[in-house]
Amino acid sequence: MIKAENVTKSYGSTQVLKGVSLEIEDGEFTVILGASGSGKSTLLNILSGLEKFDGGNVECCAQCLNDLNDAQLTLFRKKHVGYVFQQYYLLSHLSVDANVKLGADLAQNKNYKDIIKAVGLGEKLSRKPFALSGGEQQRVCIARALAKEPDVLFLDEPTGALDENTGREILNYISQLQKEKGFTAVMVTHNSNIAEMAEKVIRMNSGKIVEIYKNENCKSAYEIGW
Amino acid sequence: MVVGLKDGLKLIGISVVSCCTVFVCTFMLNYYIDLLPLKDSLTDQGTIQLYNAQIATAKLTSSLAGGVLSIISVLMLIFYIKLYIDSHSAQLGIVKALGYSRGKIASKFWVFGLSVFAGCAVGFGLAWAIMKTIYKNMTIEGVEEITANFHIELLFALVVVPTLLFIALSCLYAYFALKRPVFKLVKGGQSKVKVKENAKAEKDRPFLLQMAINTVNGKKSLAFFVAFAAFCFSAMIQMGISMKEFAAKTMGNIILVIGLVIAIVTAFMAITTLINSNKKNISVMKAFGYSVRACAVCVLGGYVPIATIGFAVGTVYQYGLLKIMLNLVFKEVEYIPDYTFDVKAFFITLFLFIISYLVLLIYYTVKINKISVKEVMTEN
Repeated sequence: MIKAENVTKSYGSTQVLKGVSLEIEDGEFTVILGASGSGKSTLLNILSGLEKFDGGNVECCAQCLNDLNDAQLTLFRKKHVGYVFQQYYLLSHLSVDANVKLGADLAQNKNYKDIIKAVGLGEKLSRKPFALSGGEQQRVCIARALAKEPDVLFLDEPTGALDENTGREILNYISQLQKEKGFTAVMVTHNSNIAEMAEKVIRMNSGKIVEIYKNENCKSAYEIGW
Repeated sequence: MVVGLKDGLKLIGISVVSCCTVFVCTFMLNYYIDLLPLKDSLTDQGTIQLYNAQIATAKLTSSLAGGVLSIISVLMLIFYIKLYIDSHSAQLGIVKALGYSRGKIASKFWVFGLSVFAGCAVGFGLAWAIMKTIYKNMTIEGVEEITANFHIELLFALVVVPTLLFIALSCLYAYFALKRPVFKLVKGGQSKVKVKENAKAEKDRPFLLQMAINTVNGKKSLAFFVAFAAFCFSAMIQMGISMKEFAAKTMGNIILVIGLVIAIVTAFMAITTLINSNKKNISVMKAFGYSVRACAVCVLGGYVPIATIGFAVGTVYQYGLLKIMLNLVFKEVEYIPDYTFDVKAFFITLFLFIISYLVLLIYYTVKINKISVKEVMTEN
């Protein structure tokens, strides 16, 4: 379970988060929706232990993140968190196999190749990232995050740099794998159509949560608008 | 301006190597030129032998130091220009796309040549600052004290000519490096990614080991500079210590200091570049939960065997060079002790090498610790 209470965060004199509170159940697929500058990415970074916050309480995977130092936050991320970046950030000089091993070795996961196969890249193990399309690179990024068998998968605009077809394909992979493996997924997006796929939607504006609602009927990646 | 003065200032490594080169060459060649007219006035056989040995030492030292260090300066300059073009690829591509010719853009790279001018000028000045002391230390028994005369041709050959050559080289190399099509430049990245796909070997290795190997393979030029730094450290410190037994103490100290300065600057330049070019990778690793120590070991660890090889080669080189110098240059001179491998100097240098390695490791671990995991996400 992820729990945030009255979380605040400022950069200099700009307050980015103004007392955010939320709860996300285990195994839930949640979308944090908001326009650029709403504070959604900052909130994601705080929940995933990538960034420290100024005030309030954050609990993730039964661990209180309030007073953890850098080394303790690193250990927390190692044990519990998977991360998918918008710009992929694959290690360009390593193959698909080695990039996924980055995550797998942390969890001593010997069966990481199954995940590479599951995202449809079983035939491209030895390829380097520059020899892959944008969609394929994002799939490697997802496989890398899942290979460490995280309790929570955080996704920062995973389809932000992709075209519609590839974006749908990626969302479909995420949704399928989430159902299959049962991990908690928290995804940030500015696209309100994507929010229709989530079980829970947290809408943000100007550093505050303006609405939290649950979708009765979650749509698939191929049913939503774009 | 395509290349700013600030970019030129980053080339401190080239300046330091140029400075050391010109420093050694200035006092050795100046001494050589001042020594030449005395030849005919010498009558005593022993004095002639010493005179010939000094002439040979001056020639050998200036050509060796000048040759080796000039090559290193050229390699460093090319390395920096390549690094600059790779990291500013998009901007250069846009300038090219706007219609600026390759020659026009390349001509702005003259700024890189200034680093050589700065180094040469300081080296020349430093040599003159201690010229009298050096002359005193190199006095030949039976020969009146030699006065240091200023030779304008040396200023021209050691400061003006290298500056012009390096400016020309900078522009020329940039001209060829900018040959890439506009779209490739705008897309950014390295000029050529030569990565062997050895999938079978990769599959069996743990991630950290694979990362360490690929980090070294991906930047072979840095591996060369790390090896060179270790080589300089080993060769020149051992030589500086061993030489004191059969040469002027000042000479030994000069070699020791030059070796230390070049080794530190080169190692610093190579490792800083390495860390900066791996910032993104380190951020990703930290975001996934790898500790700072694991990041430091896998980025820097691959260079340890290379530094060790550099150290070993440096040890053999200095022994060989001193042996050759004593056997050839001083063979006819009396009272020169037989040179055997200086075990004490070796262990002192090895101890200093290990200490320096640990200091560097701690310094760069602190630097890695400062790399924000969020940095990767704010970067586009």
